[in-house]
Amino acid sequence: MQREGPAGTVRRVAVSGIGAVCGLGWGVAPLWAGLRSGRPAFVPVRRFDHSQHRTHLASEVGEPPAELARVIPGWRRLSVADRFAVFAASEAVERAGLLVPLSEEAGVYFGSSTGGMYESELFFSDFLRGRRRARLSVLASQQVNGPGDAVARRFGVAGPVETLSSACASGALALAMALDAVRSGEVEVAVAGGADSLCQLTYAGFNSLRSVDEAPCRPFRACRAGMSFGEGAAALVLEPLDRVLARGAEPLAELAGAGASCDAHHMTAPDPTGAGAAAALSAALADAGLGPEAVDFINVHGTGTPLNDAAEWRALQRVFGEQAERIPLVATKALVGHLLGCSGALEAVATILCLQHGELHPAWNGTAECEADPELPVSLVTGEPLPLPAARTAVSTSLAFGGSNAALVFSRWTDRSA
Amino acid sequence: MSEAVATPVRIKRLIVESLNLEGMRPEMIEDETPLFGDGLGLDSVDALELVVALEKEFGIKIRSQEIGREVFSSVSTLSRFIEGRT
Repeated sequence: MQREGPAGTVRRVAVSGIGAVCGLGWGVAPLWAGLRSGRPAFVPVRRFDHSQHRTHLASEVGEPPAELARVIPGWRRLSVADRFAVFAASEAVERAGLLVPLSEEAGVYFGSSTGGMYESELFFSDFLRGRRRARLSVLASQQVNGPGDAVARRFGVAGPVETLSSACASGALALAMALDAVRSGEVEVAVAGGADSLCQLTYAGFNSLRSVDEAPCRPFRACRAGMSFGEGAAALVLEPLDRVLARGAEPLAELAGAGASCDAHHMTAPDPTGAGAAAALSAALADAGLGPEAVDFINVHGTGTPLNDAAEWRALQRVFGEQAERIPLVATKALVGHLLGCSGALEAVATILCLQHGELHPAWNGTAECEADPELPVSLVTGEPLPLPAARTAVSTSLAFGGSNAALVFSRWTDRSA
Repeated sequence: MSEAVATPVRIKRLIVESLNLEGMRPEMIEDETPLFGDGLGLDSVDALELVVALEKEFGIKIRSQEIGREVFSSVSTLSRFIEGRT
């Protein structure tokens, strides 16, 4: 997806702002504090009655800060996922120091799996109990493009506003699309990311596949028994590097490359050989002009399902050879759960934070009975944060249902990077 | 029963109940407060719901947008419209 800039060189793309909301809290600060602590944020589901479901936990977002309802126009018309998206994008745009409205120079590229599905479920539940109870207004923002559209309205984005829905690769693919748009000069500012809220459709769907762990998920451990649910939003502001530097702002990182592929194998199971995931990883590195030896750590998809982690390990072996056992792996889902269409975006933010702080956040230790899997001899960071001050380059992977794979390459920003 | 309650009061109750306005009580709405914009701050989705609720409650029909705009200015204009028809 690499295109040449006007001067015959590829435009370098900076991340000038980040924002996030997830089960660890509203904002990047609680996200980083929570990630460093290594304590998973799973609680019994409050959003809906979970008693009839097979499992009962999720990393659920708490009540929003009270002032949001006052300062964000049309707040009560927004779905839960829209609210997450608008909050995360507000934080990112503010960090970038951009003047609002953003105008036609800017675009929005957002991923989501279910948009306002939760609200649709509320409506339908009321409707089935008697149509007079059901309020059509609950459905005002039920579409999957709701989060991206809400972000565009909030910031007056008049350029391209596009929603990408490709299951759990949506967030990463939206960032890849935004990278392309900034490189090509289609936009000067991209607000990109993803948003999804807990809903019964996905909660029951993954449970019906027996893909959910009854305990908090344990990626790459021998006793892993499935994923855990999360929800939230993450947003990144992408701009040409020279534009950010010209206004005296400091980039948080560079988005150096992106790659995508499809297993073309099965509706839900990954290709066990890891060939498709490896292709996305290799494509992303090639797009960044880097070899596998440049990668200092990987933020893995790491859902904790037996199949995903095994296939991902095979993919890492294909790309990194013997180094696959030594590269530190960061498993963000072990703490915040799987944010589905947002996971790639939230993990992009987590990856940038690890690069910025020069340390890798841990997964939780699991229990004493839950040992590392001898079949997957990875170097997963657990227990305490791992200092890695020299880390310059990191990859984040997203491996979705339908075999859709995406990988993003981020470079740490230093004064010497320019 | 409902005959005993004045039309403006019934309209205010209907607005609060059918639009699920948080923190709002019927007596907080003045007869002349504009329903949209700077007044009560209702939006176009509220308008759709309110039309349906008023049709059910009072058996009225709003036949055109022009009439709707005029009638939905305030509780007072709504009340006059309803009482003129019933």
